[in-house]
Amino acid sequence: MTQKVIKVKDNDVIGSTNEFFRQLLSSGKIQALLVPQNTPSKKVAFPVLISDPKKLHADIIAPILPASTAAMVSKMTKVQPPAKPIGVVMRSCQIRALIELVKLNQANLINIVIIGVDCPGTFPLNTYAEFPEKKTPTHFLLEAWVKKSDDAEKYFRSVCRMCKDPIPTNADIILGFYGTDFEKEIIVEAHSDVGKEILKDLPLEDEKEGKSREKAVKEIRDEKTKKRALFLKEKEGIKGIDKVAEFFDKCVNCHNCRQACPICYCKECLFDSSVFDAEAYKFLRRAEVKGLFKMPNDALLFQLGRMNHMILSCVECGLCEQACPNNIPLMEVFIPAAENAQKEFDYHPGKDRTEKVPMIVYREDEFLEVGEK
Amino acid sequence: MSEEKKDHKKEDFEPRIVGFLCNWCSYAGADLAGTSRIQYPPNVRIIRVMCSGSVDSMYILRALLEGADGVFVGGCHPGDCHYIDGNYKARRRMVLLENILGTLGLEKERVWLRWISASEGQKFADTMKEMTESIRKLGPSPIAKHWNL
Repeated sequence: MTQKVIKVKDNDVIGSTNEFFRQLLSSGKIQALLVPQNTPSKKVAFPVLISDPKKLHADIIAPILPASTAAMVSKMTKVQPPAKPIGVVMRSCQIRALIELVKLNQANLINIVIIGVDCPGTFPLNTYAEFPEKKTPTHFLLEAWVKKSDDAEKYFRSVCRMCKDPIPTNADIILGFYGTDFEKEIIVEAHSDVGKEILKDLPLEDEKEGKSREKAVKEIRDEKTKKRALFLKEKEGIKGIDKVAEFFDKCVNCHNCRQACPICYCKECLFDSSVFDAEAYKFLRRAEVKGLFKMPNDALLFQLGRMNHMILSCVECGLCEQACPNNIPLMEVFIPAAENAQKEFDYHPGKDRTEKVPMIVYREDEFLEVGEK
Repeated sequence: MSEEKKDHKKEDFEPRIVGFLCNWCSYAGADLAGTSRIQYPPNVRIIRVMCSGSVDSMYILRALLEGADGVFVGGCHPGDCHYIDGNYKARRRMVLLENILGTLGLEKERVWLRWISASEGQKFADTMKEMTESIRKLGPSPIAKHWNL
């Protein structure tokens, strides 16, 4: 690993990172950058594929995740990867999702340079769009982060508060904000040969105090792990059909959660298929079983079915929850389910590209008690 | 309700079990039980599938949510799958489903996976007896009384 720093001029954190990105683009080592940039209204920051350094006004701290960046990289690479390198700026949860999509043959990392950014958390889309404070969400967040205050805590999406790991792994280059006074210096780490090669000729200074970064990373990871454990303990209560049915009561079967989920990649989802079309007499028959039949039907079946299909690869980005029009706090059941299921198969989504997705492999000598008495 | 009456009620209760049997082994096993005139409880409604590996969790969940008291999946013994490894995959899928049902407290005891070969007519009948009695003890599925799912 090589560690360098971006010198921040006049406390302008965002401006300095953009200067770095412009140098990166001008160096010719990458032909374009996929990086979050505010739309003209400044109500939302979307990943934008930028090829002209003059058009680059990115905001990599913008605390918003409008849609899955991993799914965008998938869209861009699964038919044919780029001929020359493209840099993709991503948060840790989205890198995890991208690694899962690569394993599922839905994305290709050839000529994709992953630039990971430390993530303090993101706000719900509408909070970001109608931010109640005087400052912009980015400046408000940066100020809270520098002061180490929890001013921004109340705005974070709940899933971000107990993030699985806010520090990127599997990135070629990491822009580090933890463990440095980022109003003066931002850490730039190369974690792969590709990353080293790209950073080699950029006008960056060498990092002298590598230790403080290491310590800070460990601290923030420990803090988040603790919060997540506490959350898991609290949410043990959603058990039994009464509670589960009540939890999903507001589900209108719109399938938005599936649309937002980076892992739900199927071209034709089983739940959109003709399996669920039936003659009126079959609906009547189903009504007769219990005496009455709720419509739209099969909402809980969809939720549990979807969970069965994607939970092992769940990276806990919470986009399903953000997409829910009726504000069902989906992560309250998905995080405990993901935790238990992934533990059962000793599987770590997004951690290692060579680790096989559990449902496509098996061992003859495993789970021997299942299927026997 | 007195304890005695409760027991009486449980004995009256006839479990409804949906059984997914693989074409090559378990279904043939059930067939053998029939042709050999081995008696077994009529509580299971059998659906023939090509392979236990083709039983998506969705079908098991659907049966449970529609009010089945139990779901049985029968496949070839490990190593005997007609499609080489369908039953190993079914086993993994069952582990995942049971894990999720466990997390949500949805009585994973109601879902059974067993290996039954084409020659094991007796084993099929015994397994059906065992499962019917086990589900009878559990009582009617609490999911059955919910219509708002």
